[in-house]
Amino acid sequence: MSGELERPGAEPSPDFLLQTRGAHRDLGAYVVAAAFDRSGAQAAFALGDGTVRLVAGEEWREIAVHDGAVLALAAGASGFVTGGDDGRFRRVTSAGEVGDIAEYGMKWVEHVASAQNVLACAVGRRLHLFDAAGTPLKSLDHPSSVTGLAFDTKGKRIGASHYNGASLWFVASKSDSPRVLTWKGSHTAIAIHPGGEAVVTAMQENALHGWRLPDEQHMRMSGYPSKTRSLSFTHNGRWLATSGADGIVLWPFFGGGPMGKPPVELAGGDGVTCNFVACHPGHDSCAAGFSDGLVVLADIGSERILPVASPGRGAISALAWSPDGTHLAFGSETGFAAIVDFSKR
Amino acid sequence: MSDASTSSPEAPGTIPVTVLTGYLGAGKTTLLNRILSENHGRRYAVVVNEFGELGVDNDLVVDSDEEVFEMNNGCICCTVRGDLIRIVGGLMKRRDRFDGIIIETTGLANPAPVAQTFFVDEGVRSRARLDAIVTVVDAKHLPQRLVDSHEAADQIAFADVIVLNKTDLVSAEELAEVENKIRAINRFAEIHRTERASLPIADVLDRGAFDLKRVLAMEPGFLTDDSHEHNDDIASVSFEVERPIDPEKFNAWIGQLLAEKGPDLLRTKGILHYAGEDRRFAFQAVHMIADGDFIGPAREGEPRRSRIVFIGRNLNRPQLRRGFEACQVS
Repeated sequence: MSGELERPGAEPSPDFLLQTRGAHRDLGAYVVAAAFDRSGAQAAFALGDGTVRLVAGEEWREIAVHDGAVLALAAGASGFVTGGDDGRFRRVTSAGEVGDIAEYGMKWVEHVASAQNVLACAVGRRLHLFDAAGTPLKSLDHPSSVTGLAFDTKGKRIGASHYNGASLWFVASKSDSPRVLTWKGSHTAIAIHPGGEAVVTAMQENALHGWRLPDEQHMRMSGYPSKTRSLSFTHNGRWLATSGADGIVLWPFFGGGPMGKPPVELAGGDGVTCNFVACHPGHDSCAAGFSDGLVVLADIGSERILPVASPGRGAISALAWSPDGTHLAFGSETGFAAIVDFSKR
Repeated sequence: MSDASTSSPEAPGTIPVTVLTGYLGAGKTTLLNRILSENHGRRYAVVVNEFGELGVDNDLVVDSDEEVFEMNNGCICCTVRGDLIRIVGGLMKRRDRFDGIIIETTGLANPAPVAQTFFVDEGVRSRARLDAIVTVVDAKHLPQRLVDSHEAADQIAFADVIVLNKTDLVSAEELAEVENKIRAINRFAEIHRTERASLPIADVLDRGAFDLKRVLAMEPGFLTDDSHEHNDDIASVSFEVERPIDPEKFNAWIGQLLAEKGPDLLRTKGILHYAGEDRRFAFQAVHMIADGDFIGPAREGEPRRSRIVFIGRNLNRPQLRRGFEACQVS
């Protein structure tokens, strides 16, 4: 294995980027998700106390959004959309105004996603789609609860993971019958290849399952010591970065892979679990957050690791890049949140 | 009973989870309402299937569909509650708002998937611990339920605590008879006789029944040899041996036993004295899924006997006894 990292106390300080190019706060509640709006001008952190913190420049604003915990966050057409355990699917504008898109009573709104002109939320077994203004388009049923959502790059299709497989829906289709990708077992997260070549899910049994879309060949990626919670393809689809091991596990999706190819493992070797991964929107690099609070940026080609934040601020639970890849936002289970600026100076 | 906060020192900060089972109409919701409305200063997140039935205001009620998922781990009886894995994960985002979780199952539910979720899923395991399975039964209708369905017997077999409710609706003889039926299935659960599910909540919460340190804390209600095995096929048996246990022999025996008979073995618990080891080894299993660890030494002057309990179907008593006895050092 390569790309090992000295920690803690390595020279220079692993906090160098955070200290010199970062803004950070202790928000006092579990950071459930982080996201940037489509312009990249504003970041948002969704918290377990029901608030969303909007960050633009130096300003951090606290907005009360859900009565309970925020469970999911995504960029909206403008501003953000959120799901909560109060059964609401809501929007938060960049000015901090909050409004309902839909309300589902006692059921949790566990997953939200968005594409250019579509908003989506999952509530139990149902996936609800809305246009950018929040007008309901359709509701789509699954055989069991939806555990993850992902749009394809163009926003034409949306994938939902669930028990015994995943369903792939055309957003604009009139027929509303999904392409069902079947594999026995409980699938708990989903990612769609940027080129539309594959769908990959994480499974209850510490493994990934994939379907190559043209021919539906099955792929199985296993060997994880714990469950994968986070899946992220690189911008060009060459690599799939995953959490769940003691480093970033990257599966090659080129040259016939991932079948029969070993993954590349970066920033590992010290027994600390990688909790979260987010590939850069423009380069073959991947940000990763660990269960001890360490955040790194890994360059896949050179296998070099750049420390972003040192361990000690709580297990990393959220990680997101701005659309242009100049800013990285991350947060931890104990309420630490930061935005680091990677732009040229 | 001992202090709840010390009940699971090996997993500090985990949330205790109480599973409430029982047939429709047995008094489960009454008990739940009692727990939630009593002034005990503790806050519970409650997972229910029929929200409408709950009459009490509680700001953390989660409406859930029971989703029982098979695991792809080659274990035919290993199932988990997929919804609970998600719900426990979600609740942990507001961990400061409650002190415990109560999961109410539907009347017909088999408790195994709930219990196995707490053994199998690492995310749940690191955050929450199964405290006890509490089964509410209706003194009047239980005999009929046991004839109608095997779920009623499963719920009793799995129970750590049995709330024998509606005792006011039966005669003293009927009550004794129904208690005998319960004992025939599960000799090791605590039984509390109640009317309108009224009992001190300390009798059902913070029991630590799945804590390895207390795995055999509950003595059987009576120690007569259960010669009166019933036509309903679940029974409970226990064995004690005097000589120390050889860990290799025990692991080989119990491993094979659980692999072969796991579907029939609902719960297995044991406290073992290994040869040359002061600390006792505590062991428990739900079907094939086992857990075990060393716990403190026996108290001064306490005999170093090893003991094992099986609750399940088709228990071959002589075979189990011979198997356990053969685990002693020669």
